[in-house]
Amino acid sequence: MGIWDAITDLVEAATPWTTADAEAPAQEEQQEETAETKEDESEKTEEATEEPAEEEEAEAEAEEEEEEEEEDEEEIVDPKEKFEEECRESKQCAPAKHHFDECVDRVTNASSSDGPKEDCVEEFFHLAHCATQCAAPKLWSVLK
Amino acid sequence: MTPTEEGLHPTKYPWVHEQWFKTFDHQALRRGFQVYREVCASCHSLSRIPYRSLVGTVLTADEAKALATENEYDTEPNDQGEIEQRPGKLSDYLPSPYKNDEAARFANNGALPPDLSLIVKARHGGCNYIFSLLTGYPEEPPAGASVGAGLNFNPYFPGTGIAMARVLYDGLVDYEDETPASTSQMAKDVVEFLNWAAEPEMDDRKRMGMKILVVTSVLFAVSIWVKRYKWAAIKSRKIVYNPPKDNTTTRF
Repeated sequence: MGIWDAITDLVEAATPWTTADAEAPAQEEQQEETAETKEDESEKTEEATEEPAEEEEAEAEAEEEEEEEEEDEEEIVDPKEKFEEECRESKQCAPAKHHFDECVDRVTNASSSDGPKEDCVEEFFHLAHCATQCAAPKLWSVLK
Repeated sequence: MTPTEEGLHPTKYPWVHEQWFKTFDHQALRRGFQVYREVCASCHSLSRIPYRSLVGTVLTADEAKALATENEYDTEPNDQGEIEQRPGKLSDYLPSPYKNDEAARFANNGALPPDLSLIVKARHGGCNYIFSLLTGYPEEPPAGASVGAGLNFNPYFPGTGIAMARVLYDGLVDYEDETPASTSQMAKDVVEFLNWAAEPEMDDRKRMGMKILVVTSVLFAVSIWVKRYKWAAIKSRKIVYNPPKDNTTTRF
């Protein structure tokens, strides 16, 4: 956050006319539409020239809607998992990952024998700590 | 305590609303409330939040009224002493999913889902802890880890065995502003909402704090100036002593 952001925030907060509105914003669009329809009724002569433009607009809107639908159909990938996977494979977390993998191998191989029971929770903690630490700023730059 | 008993300490995330000069993102609060209502509210209550406090911060007045009327509340006793049901008003509090703690425990295998009104303040690590807890469920527990019956492995929960299963999955909620509802996005929104629920006064508190800092710093500067002004005559005076010229004669 720059110094100017801080100053503008200060000014905005100190000015008495910044208020939060509890009411829904006024529905201007509908009013405009009704006004347009009235105009259309009164000025029938201009309709002929306006119609083609309106049709084009309608087509454009329809295309946009289709694009949005296509976007929705794509499966959402959780950015957190993506970044953390990248971080786990990165050089930064290589020591933690090495220890964790080694522990998993050891525990899975030793499970048959009657040795002391070991778990990889601590190694998992170290790896998870490293991965989340590395992914945190990247994640926040993506999320809204 | 072993690391397992302690739980994994949550990572510090760069929350925008935790910065000194930043407020809650009310668009995020709105999304977070949607996540609470559609996902969390089936088990967790939010009993300290009345509908009226949602007005102007999360919902508009009309939306909050419509939401309140969806639930029924007890009336005052009528002439015959009977208590009837009436639709909710803005002054009513959000309904709880269970009648009491015992019912909640019974329905959840003995585990009590905590009330979420103050959960951000009530847990060590605050927002970071809750975000990490919600998104931190691994696909399978690490090798050798023991998970109790009816529990799930979560590294951030002290003891790593948590009764709550993972609830947030990608695309669980359809946001009205068409934000892609990834797991982390939902978790971030609901955590910010819960932070608002715990500290609804935060925006006003920060604004008041800034006003106080500005005003007191001006007053402090003025008081310094006044002090220096008043003392100027005293500080800049010069006391001179001219000794009498050497007189060989002494007067008596």
